[in-house]
Amino acid sequence: MIRRAYAALPGPTAARVAASVGIVAVLLVGLHFFYEWLGGWLLDSGGTVG
Amino acid sequence: MGDGTRAAQAEVNRARARARTGTVRVVRAVGWTLVWLGLLTLGFVVHQVWITSWFARQHQTVLATERLAYFADAVPVEAEVTVEGSIVPEDEPAPEAEVLALPLVVESAPELHSAFALIRISALENLAEGWNVVEGVDVSDLKTGAGHIPATPLPGQPGNSVISGHRTTYGAPFNRLDELVPGDRIEVDTAIGTHVYEMRTSVIVAPADVWVLEPRQGAWLTLTTCNPEYSARERLVILAELVEGPNAEVIGMMR
Repeated sequence: MIRRAYAALPGPTAARVAASVGIVAVLLVGLHFFYEWLGGWLLDSGGTVG
Repeated sequence: MGDGTRAAQAEVNRARARARTGTVRVVRAVGWTLVWLGLLTLGFVVHQVWITSWFARQHQTVLATERLAYFADAVPVEAEVTVEGSIVPEDEPAPEAEVLALPLVVESAPELHSAFALIRISALENLAEGWNVVEGVDVSDLKTGAGHIPATPLPGQPGNSVISGHRTTYGAPFNRLDELVPGDRIEVDTAIGTHVYEMRTSVIVAPADVWVLEPRQGAWLTLTTCNPEYSARERLVILAELVEGPNAEVIGMMR
């Protein structure tokens, strides 16, 4: 799946690599915020009252 | 075997192959889905336990500098608190509405979201060196340090000062509060000095039980954190009473 997605990217290899790095970075940042939200809701909201 | 029979057998074989291919595809899809779910779950654990704590420790370094600058700039002020007829020796008749003015050391309210105190609990290994306290309990405040609820008095002042902190993530400063026993000392450094509290009791409440924030007679420190560990379902609340510090004697006289 990942190989197919990479192959579907347009342009020369350098452009594909740059686009891949960009997409992965965006995904990681999105995942970070998702994990933060999930952790605050599920594991530890900070412990304050009210 | 006739041509018709061979053709029929070939058709059956093709149908079986198609069925096998379909099953393989489904199994493969389920397998990859489970692999990705496992990786996402593993990533969640790593993020919550290690990455958030790493971020919190970086913030603590910055907050320590900010707190020390705040201590250097803050000017303690002596204020007077009036108490009506509260100090009466047992062998003397109570005077009518005697009003006493007692000196109290106070500091101005710190800026919201800035570090203004350090909490230390020598009985707990992870808090023996201290953890910086910021003014405010927004989500972003609690990611950096313990947070003081601005609507409550500052530590060392009369009433009920409330500080909240994470139990399992973002450095987990209040991870081991459940190990405290009555008599354990909790020290809070502020701009006017070190205030020493003694743990009196603990209680587990619902997250919406705001009665724990209500004012109390004397000077109290209330610490709140999530309970049980790895869950935000309840709150563990530690109640501690001021026993030493710049205002301890005066507040003791107010009772």
